[in-house]
Amino acid sequence: MGRRRRRGGREHAVGALPEAIAALSQTLPAGPSPEIFRRAKFDRPEAAPALWQLLFRALSPPAAAGARASPALGAQVRLVKSALCSQGYPRRVLAQLPEDGSQGSRELLLALAWLLARGPLLEHLLARTRVWLGDEIPLCQYEAPANPGPPAPCQEADGPVDIRHLQWLMGKLRFRWRDLITSQQELCALLGKIHSYTRGCHSDRGLDHLSVAEIELLRDPEGGRQLLQRLESENTRLEAALEWRRRELVFWQWMDTVLGSCPLEASPATFLPRDPAPGPGELELVARELQSLHGELQGAAEPRRAAWEAKAGGCGPEWGAAQRATQEAVGQDLAALQRAWEQGGAPAQPHRPCRLVKRDTRAVEGPGLRAAELTGALRTRESRLEAALGRLQTRCRQELARLAGAEPGLIWILPPGR
Amino acid sequence: MLPLGCSRRLVAELRDALDDCAERQLQLERSLRVSRRLLRTWEPAETPAAEPTPEPETDEEAPPPDTPSPQDLRELELLTQALEKAVRVRKGVSKAGERHGALGLKSAATSRATTASAPPGASGQAGRQTSETKPPRGIHQTTVPARGLPECRLPSVGDRTRMGRGASTTKPRPSLRDQQIPPSATPRAPEAFTLKEKGSLLKLPMAYRKVASQNSRLWAQLSSPQTSDSKDTASMAKTQFLQKMKTTSGWPGSGLAAAEVEAEAGLLRKACSLMRQRMEEVLSAEPADRIQEYYSLLTLEGLQAITEQCLHRLQELRAAVAGQQLGPWTEGRCCRASLSCEGRTDPTWSPQLLFYSSPEELQSLAVLGLRVAMLDQQIHLQKVLMADLLPLVGAREPPGPPWLALCRAVHSLLCEGGERFLTVLRDEPAD
Repeated sequence: MGRRRRRGGREHAVGALPEAIAALSQTLPAGPSPEIFRRAKFDRPEAAPALWQLLFRALSPPAAAGARASPALGAQVRLVKSALCSQGYPRRVLAQLPEDGSQGSRELLLALAWLLARGPLLEHLLARTRVWLGDEIPLCQYEAPANPGPPAPCQEADGPVDIRHLQWLMGKLRFRWRDLITSQQELCALLGKIHSYTRGCHSDRGLDHLSVAEIELLRDPEGGRQLLQRLESENTRLEAALEWRRRELVFWQWMDTVLGSCPLEASPATFLPRDPAPGPGELELVARELQSLHGELQGAAEPRRAAWEAKAGGCGPEWGAAQRATQEAVGQDLAALQRAWEQGGAPAQPHRPCRLVKRDTRAVEGPGLRAAELTGALRTRESRLEAALGRLQTRCRQELARLAGAEPGLIWILPPGR
Repeated sequence: MLPLGCSRRLVAELRDALDDCAERQLQLERSLRVSRRLLRTWEPAETPAAEPTPEPETDEEAPPPDTPSPQDLRELELLTQALEKAVRVRKGVSKAGERHGALGLKSAATSRATTASAPPGASGQAGRQTSETKPPRGIHQTTVPARGLPECRLPSVGDRTRMGRGASTTKPRPSLRDQQIPPSATPRAPEAFTLKEKGSLLKLPMAYRKVASQNSRLWAQLSSPQTSDSKDTASMAKTQFLQKMKTTSGWPGSGLAAAEVEAEAGLLRKACSLMRQRMEEVLSAEPADRIQEYYSLLTLEGLQAITEQCLHRLQELRAAVAGQQLGPWTEGRCCRASLSCEGRTDPTWSPQLLFYSSPEELQSLAVLGLRVAMLDQQIHLQKVLMADLLPLVGAREPPGPPWLALCRAVHSLLCEGGERFLTVLRDEPAD
């Protein structure tokens, strides 16, 4: 430490490294102590488990991180390795570290720095455990699991199932959604009452009434104390995060030296064994969809082009200008369409949590969403989705009719009420 | 039976969907519990926990196993009168004190909450409420033997006497002490507090308000754009570090991470659905004039060209995946999905306000939100099922009746959402 301080030419950052590391360790959830960081630079084995655990917390999905008790160190190690690998972590050494979590603290330190450098890791971790004080309703979209992959190994080795099992599961799913909808309706009714009973109580005039969390705090002093504690510790972490931002430069300079002290990697001789390829992967599914779309477009466009060419004779000179204008308009239209998916879609993507406020809508000004507008947008979305589902079902019907029609001597009676 | 790989995949998908629902249901139920509790009468936290709502012990509680002797009853009468006198003294202090007394007695006595028959409870409540306005009447009401509070007191005292005579004389004292608790001036009068009646009197404590405002201030600071030069130097240092990490490793690959491939595949999927939507809009519209006809034609051809570009990109991605070791696909699949989800959203947003004007409006919004999520899930499942089941039907094995059963089941799953079934008849030639 003395050595670091004596290093000149680092402007005001001299001696700031311990503070920077202290700020970092305070911001991280259950962050390892600054001592661990120092030991990790020298690749001390005792620093490794804490860093594995830290990376596990940072990389595991938000829901899992809070809910269950953390799994054994070996499982944590495996998950960290695979998560880093899938994100494109460039160093091979990590994958070769032993699974008992006893070594590799320097590599883990590098991995942590790599994650910090790539994106707003600290902010994400803070946001995960953020204390929400308002009431909200779920408007988040269903995130389909991106890649089916091999089934989770924790499940018992499933044998082949009968299709009736699938039908049963689908039925169960339908009922669960029905229950969800009724429960949600009940909750909304209760929230409406609660909000109207506490009108005018909030110190913030913009909010006007209390939320469930705030009323709970009043009803149950013990719970209220805990909420206050959580808020206070979150404030401490936020202050540490802001402190980190001011001081992080010296950390990066330090990490350069850590990287420099690593032995240079030999070129990798062995590749990691790859798991057996899964079934139709994500790319396959998308490929199929795109190809069928392409086929349909071709089928629709070609005859129209032929018909157009056939009628094309006898256009006056003014047609040329109209033609160019149309071409431009179509070009812009399609460009806008392309932007729509490249930039991640519709503007009001409600991943952002919304605090419910009951207010007579005539009296509302200023920023904020109005339920009526959102309802309209959702209704449009709903009808689009229903149409899409209907189209998929029709396609299946046609396909099945084709396959079954080849079978002679059978009559297929479709169910009524379509 | 379905083939093994197919079974596993489909069961896994459906189980995922079921788990997603289960999680939502859990959260909903938690919120429901909390909200219902808030709307009921609140239990006072400081006074001994009791349900001040009319849940006095009914008469049938005490007497049957151990009917008090006449002497007991006389003693109880005396005790009751003594208590009433104390109440009368106390009433001069405030009506709240009197209610305390009643509460104290009941709480000392009630060992378990029992559902009272409605009349005593109702009149008890009425007794308390009228006592609020007319103290003398209230006291008088409390002495009415057949209804109201004394009825509650009697069995309660009876309870205590069962425990031991010596104890009975000491029993009134705790309740008197209760009566001496100065009435709290806060609106949290621990008696029959309901949100409906007194909700507008609530006030958030100062400590909380300070901490909460500090919290929102800090979040705002965290999300505001940083001062330029510190940010620039820091981000330069970060980029340099990342570069160095890459060059010091022996990684031969093109740098395409599995997560990035996945993200691109997602974009392409979205592109496909948006383009399909546009195509259908064009196909369903009747062109009114030549220009519109030309517009439709150009749109279709343009979409076709974009689709070809997407397919090309997809080929590149597939080559990248096949050509290099991207690392094992793992149990961390949900891990990847969550990270990419987080990547898209800015974590430091302050919550936006959502204004609604009536519970019905809120309900329809919430239900719509759920329906949209449900439809999203259904479409995803539909695609997955189609990909696996249609080839099975096409393969026509096992032949014969099992294949017909499969057809029927697949038709129901894929075309009717599992809700209806078709019938298959064998067309026997009539001889």
